[in-house]
Amino acid sequence: MRRSFPIIVCFVFGMAMLIQFFVPSKLSRVAYDEITNWAQIIYAFALIVGVFGLLKYHSEKVVRKSGGWFFNLVTIASLIIMAVLGFAYGRGDSSPFMWIFNYMQAPMQASVFSLLAFFVASAAFRGFTARNAEAVLLLLSAVFIMFGIASVGNAIPPFSDIANWILMKPSMTARRGIFIGIGLGTIATSLRVILGVERTYLGKG
Amino acid sequence: MLIGIIITGLLVALFIMRGRRGKSLYLRPIAGLLAVDEAIGRATEMGKPILYSSGRGGMQRPATIASMNILGSVVEKVATYGTPLIFPNNDPVVTAVAQEVAREGYTKAGHPDAYKPENIYFVTDSQFGYAAAVDGIMMRERPATNLFFGTFEAESLILAETGNSIGAIQIAGTDSSIQMAFFMVACDYVLIGEELFAASGYLSRDPQVIGSQKGSDISKIIIMVIIILGVILGILNQAWFVNLFVTV
Amino acid sequence: MNFWLGIRHLDRRIIFLLMALGVAVPLLLKIGLPVRVTRDVSSVYDYIENLKEADVVLISYDHDTGTLPEMVPMSTAILRHLFLKNLKLVGMALRAEGNAIGRQAFKRVGDEFGKADGTDYVFLGYRPELTATILGLGTSIERVFPKDDRGVPVAEIPLMQNIHNYGDIALVISVSDDDTPVYWINYGNARYQVKVAPAVTAVMATTFFPFLNSSQIVGMIAGLKGAAEYERLIKRQGMASRGMDAQSIAHLVVIGFILAGNLAYFATRKRGM
Repeated sequence: MRRSFPIIVCFVFGMAMLIQFFVPSKLSRVAYDEITNWAQIIYAFALIVGVFGLLKYHSEKVVRKSGGWFFNLVTIASLIIMAVLGFAYGRGDSSPFMWIFNYMQAPMQASVFSLLAFFVASAAFRGFTARNAEAVLLLLSAVFIMFGIASVGNAIPPFSDIANWILMKPSMTARRGIFIGIGLGTIATSLRVILGVERTYLGKG
Repeated sequence: MLIGIIITGLLVALFIMRGRRGKSLYLRPIAGLLAVDEAIGRATEMGKPILYSSGRGGMQRPATIASMNILGSVVEKVATYGTPLIFPNNDPVVTAVAQEVAREGYTKAGHPDAYKPENIYFVTDSQFGYAAAVDGIMMRERPATNLFFGTFEAESLILAETGNSIGAIQIAGTDSSIQMAFFMVACDYVLIGEELFAASGYLSRDPQVIGSQKGSDISKIIIMVIIILGVILGILNQAWFVNLFVTV
Repeated sequence: MNFWLGIRHLDRRIIFLLMALGVAVPLLLKIGLPVRVTRDVSSVYDYIENLKEADVVLISYDHDTGTLPEMVPMSTAILRHLFLKNLKLVGMALRAEGNAIGRQAFKRVGDEFGKADGTDYVFLGYRPELTATILGLGTSIERVFPKDDRGVPVAEIPLMQNIHNYGDIALVISVSDDDTPVYWINYGNARYQVKVAPAVTAVMATTFFPFLNSSQIVGMIAGLKGAAEYERLIKRQGMASRGMDAQSIAHLVVIGFILAGNLAYFATRKRGM
């Protein structure tokens, strides 16, 4: 029962959502509204599960004084401080919560994202070598697109036109093919989940 | 759309039943998946851990489901060799599922005591917080093998380049065609498009899963035929064929 | 020969340093390179230009703080255009961080134009589970967001009196750093025929070309370049135009690395090194 009940629930709701998409009746609309509301509520509870899991993991590391335990303590403290500040002083524009968000979290996140520029440079230096015919095509595409999109190249019509042609024709064609493959793979996986063939989400292989 | 879904669904169901009846179904070799064994062996020989990441997708994403399937097969292999597996997570629900999959994998391999729940943990659901955390783990633990299977976004190159800088062998598979390009440049093997979804059947050799893959392959062939017919009839100025799909 | 071998095995830190200089120097020198407006961006601009004064635009902030440098100039330019046209704005977020980002953007740009919260714009807040939210808005916005982000019941907000679902919305703009606009297109546009315009990071742009080609979206604003083009269209230079100098030079630096890497590869390969 412990195994069959989730599979039955998955089948019933999977088929229901599939059928209601194609049946425009009032009953299907009401059912669909209710299910989407419940999906939001369940997701909110999943976040709570995550928070407790996070606290448990980092607390154990602090108690055991594992390597780098100080940073685990920083994580726990940050979580608690943000929660307390949010509840105590609200999330208004001039609240301490928003101050930390604007002047600590946002710059830190943006900084890590900015590392991408450096990694792109080192990956391009290493990866775009003309080892074979395909690599030459990749290399030429990268050079034309980067130059065509940069302001310098964008102002020179042949380069911007070549860049646009590569993006809109061969690149898009290949992406459409990959989209179709991924779409079919998604349908197959989803059908397996609905039909109970795929049970990984239960945590069982 | 309804007709397309019905046809695809029937084909998938048909081949699942064929798989259940024991019919042998062929899947071509996928280089990235063949390399998983080699990568695990490398980590074992070097005495270093394996880093696994399922990216940013929630459990509702097919790519994450495929990743959990691959995880199950990987865990059975690492359990046999005694190689540590580290799996930092971006989603609390995926963490819970991954822990169950790993526990089951270790048990199936006959080493239930080797399972360490502290190696599979939730880090943060923040994209770049996760990327920073995984990079930190890579720099400290120096895994010999990195396995990236799932839904990845902008953090993909940050993870892959850091893995490259520590000399790890890297195998990646994602449902994002953009991030696939970044993985192509920085990883040793990449699963392209639906090879990620085929992976679960490929590694488990479950006939039902392989059957569903065959069903979607036949659907792809049907789509290819329709496209070719559409192109030929379009050139011949026969718009009725294309209009058929617009109205359907 | 040692030179080419040295180039081939160049220390990453030198690459990072050259990249940093390539980005920082143009920002300090303020070169002012030209920006040519593309059709994708002008399509969004034209669509908004053709909206009537009381039309409603829904803007969804579907990105995190990591992509702020790329998204803030874009969303600021769009908000300025929308407020210039005296359109009514409804804001929301499908990401927790997007909530704070969007709310602040609405307030900052709204104050620039003397717009009032509740009558000229409203920020509804954040909802998780994006599929359920996007689909739910097609039936009833009030059901999905009973209160706005300040806690005021939506039924009491003057602006929301005649806005019930997608039927009352002229355009949805998804400011996003991932594939969330695909959900807006698949669920909002395909099911409810609401017009959608993605405003995305440059790396996500290619995802939406097929949708552009098949006219499932009205246009697209992609990356800092898209934001700079939009600033040019609304004739208000901002952060994006300044940032384009740095981006252009950075592109040239990367091209330089690619060429150097290839020269080193061929030079060392010839001599079997």
